[in-house]
Amino acid sequence: MRKTNVSRRSFLGGSVALIGLGLAGCGSKDNSKTKSGSAAKASDKKVAIVCDAAGKNDNGFNQQAIEAAQAVCDENGWELNVIEPTNGLPAALETLGEEGYNLVFNMQYDFEALINGTGGASPLAEQYPDTTWVVFNDNPNVDKSGKLIHKNVISVLFNMNENSYLAGALAVLVNENADKIFAGGNYKFTAPDKTRAMGFIGGTESNGITVFSYGFVQGMQHEAEKLGVKYDYYTKYDAGFTDTAAGSTTAGTYYDNGANIVFVAAGSVGTGVTSKAKEVGKLAIEVDANKDEDQPGYILTSVLKSTNVPAQALCEALGNGSIAEVERVQYYNLESGAVDLTDFATIEKSITSDEGKAKWEEAKQEIATLKKQIIDGDIKVVNAQEGETFDPATCPNVNIK
Amino acid sequence: MQLLSSILYDTIYHSAPIILCVIGGVFAFKANVLNIALEGMMGIGAFFSVYVTFITGNLLLGFIAGVIVALLFGVMFSLFGVTFKGNVIVVGLALNLLATAIASFILVQMGKSNLTLSHFSVADLQIHIPYIESIPLLGSLLSGHPFLTYVAFIGVWLTWMLMYRTKFGTYVRVVGENEDAAKSLGLKTDLYKWCAVLIGALCCGLAGVNLSTERLGLYTNGMTAARGFIAIAAIYCGRGDPFISSIYAVLFGLARSLAINLAVFAGPAAGLFDVIPYIVMVVALFVASVSQRRHVKVRGFANG
Repeated sequence: MRKTNVSRRSFLGGSVALIGLGLAGCGSKDNSKTKSGSAAKASDKKVAIVCDAAGKNDNGFNQQAIEAAQAVCDENGWELNVIEPTNGLPAALETLGEEGYNLVFNMQYDFEALINGTGGASPLAEQYPDTTWVVFNDNPNVDKSGKLIHKNVISVLFNMNENSYLAGALAVLVNENADKIFAGGNYKFTAPDKTRAMGFIGGTESNGITVFSYGFVQGMQHEAEKLGVKYDYYTKYDAGFTDTAAGSTTAGTYYDNGANIVFVAAGSVGTGVTSKAKEVGKLAIEVDANKDEDQPGYILTSVLKSTNVPAQALCEALGNGSIAEVERVQYYNLESGAVDLTDFATIEKSITSDEGKAKWEEAKQEIATLKKQIIDGDIKVVNAQEGETFDPATCPNVNIK
Repeated sequence: MQLLSSILYDTIYHSAPIILCVIGGVFAFKANVLNIALEGMMGIGAFFSVYVTFITGNLLLGFIAGVIVALLFGVMFSLFGVTFKGNVIVVGLALNLLATAIASFILVQMGKSNLTLSHFSVADLQIHIPYIESIPLLGSLLSGHPFLTYVAFIGVWLTWMLMYRTKFGTYVRVVGENEDAAKSLGLKTDLYKWCAVLIGALCCGLAGVNLSTERLGLYTNGMTAARGFIAIAAIYCGRGDPFISSIYAVLFGLARSLAINLAVFAGPAAGLFDVIPYIVMVVALFVASVSQRRHVKVRGFANG
């Protein structure tokens, strides 16, 4: 019985691997195919990436990790297997463990089978101790007392509070001079002496979402305090991740109520918000990937979470044999370059007047200063994802609605 | 005043696609074909209108493509559900799944996670009616909406005419009420069912075009967000009468609009407003079925 089970499993594994290879072959026209063809050498390593629902072409979270891992694998002649599971995450991970992959990136926000085991099975991390498993956006690998559970699981966390802070500061700086900075463009900003407001739309009320909002508010507070002005802050934390039209009208009410910039962290709903920004001639701020080109000129910037940095670092660690020693919980902050704002190349095309350019340079200068202060530790930003609580009283210049 | 007018505007915004689904769905309802594929037909219409506009850059082609593909779904539904006498629930469910599957497949092939039409602004598609536009409240109710939104509201009346003032409408209702009697009169019952389903598909296609291309200029998977099922609930609440069912659709639009607009003032409690539409639906269904029951005099005909 057990024997047939294994053979079925390896058959499945084989077919998954084949499909994966086939897809990889279609996707990239480089020499990865020949490289993976010669993957029989004993010294060769095998790396796999299991994509989340957004898929391998999401132009962000999955794709960046894949590209970075691909580069390292090509360089060393390793095999890279990119999987978009159709049969559930546990089955995919089990197959990869069974196939003896050295390093598996799990891009999905689902750790149950890996850490605790599902359906009475022992945890996959325990079943396959020779595989190093990497999980993102959370640290599920600790028990109640905070002790590490599995030695072969690495948790990667991004300090999105830091770049959200920069986005908040930038939003205020731009809002104060929006008419000057974007003079001549097709915009309809509400003048700051009439109403000062910003909006935030999040997909779900969780630490992974509030981390953006709280960072943003603190950045707003910093600049609003400097200027001695007060802002209203409209928030919605339960917009979901799919109903684009509802997200769009929600942003519409914020814009109608005088907000010039709406910050959105809600998956597909974000595209509805940026579409509304274009419709009403105002601005939006996106998250995760560089989405500035989605609605050129109407997305001020994107709060980036770049998975390529950790993916490259961990692949290299696998190469030089230090993968067993690197920190089990890895934080990627502004300094690492994995979290940042975009380079503003897209929005700058909409800044045409000389006065606007001067004001914009001023704002960018300020952001650069703040970035340095955060890296140096002079500014401390609350990180909700780490369970730190945010006290609205610390932001007297922002009226959180 | 500002708040009231944006509540009114958003009510129309969110009602229009549901009304389009409702006026399409009432024919199938009256013909006694339970069309649960409204959602899928709307979704595929939404996708193909954006997709074709994206490829060709031509809005009109996109509109037509959205409607034609939705009609193809209608043909599939009728073929399997009416001609081959398959289980309409299973066929409908399959079409709902197929719609998102086709869209995802094409998106993956294109290497995109969603489609955005960037060569025009949806603001250009809004029709501003002179004079009326400047009247407070009435202006936001009647002006500044895209073409298909007006079609939806005019369509309610057209549907009513078609259903109660034409031979075709009468025959559709006869087929639904007593198929055997209709057959004994020599009516081609399957033909009327086909027509009823296809009218539904056409309207759902329009609903999809309205939701994606006209209002947002983009497509993301799952953007129909169960509006097709809400339309089915509205049809049942209104027992297939185009006017009454559409009023339920507007009720849902109003609830959604309240949830969105009052959120600015409600702060953390905003989440509560999001349940309004669903509570309204449950209460409406309850009240509708209670009042329906009271008029039933004959045992065994409760669902007549």
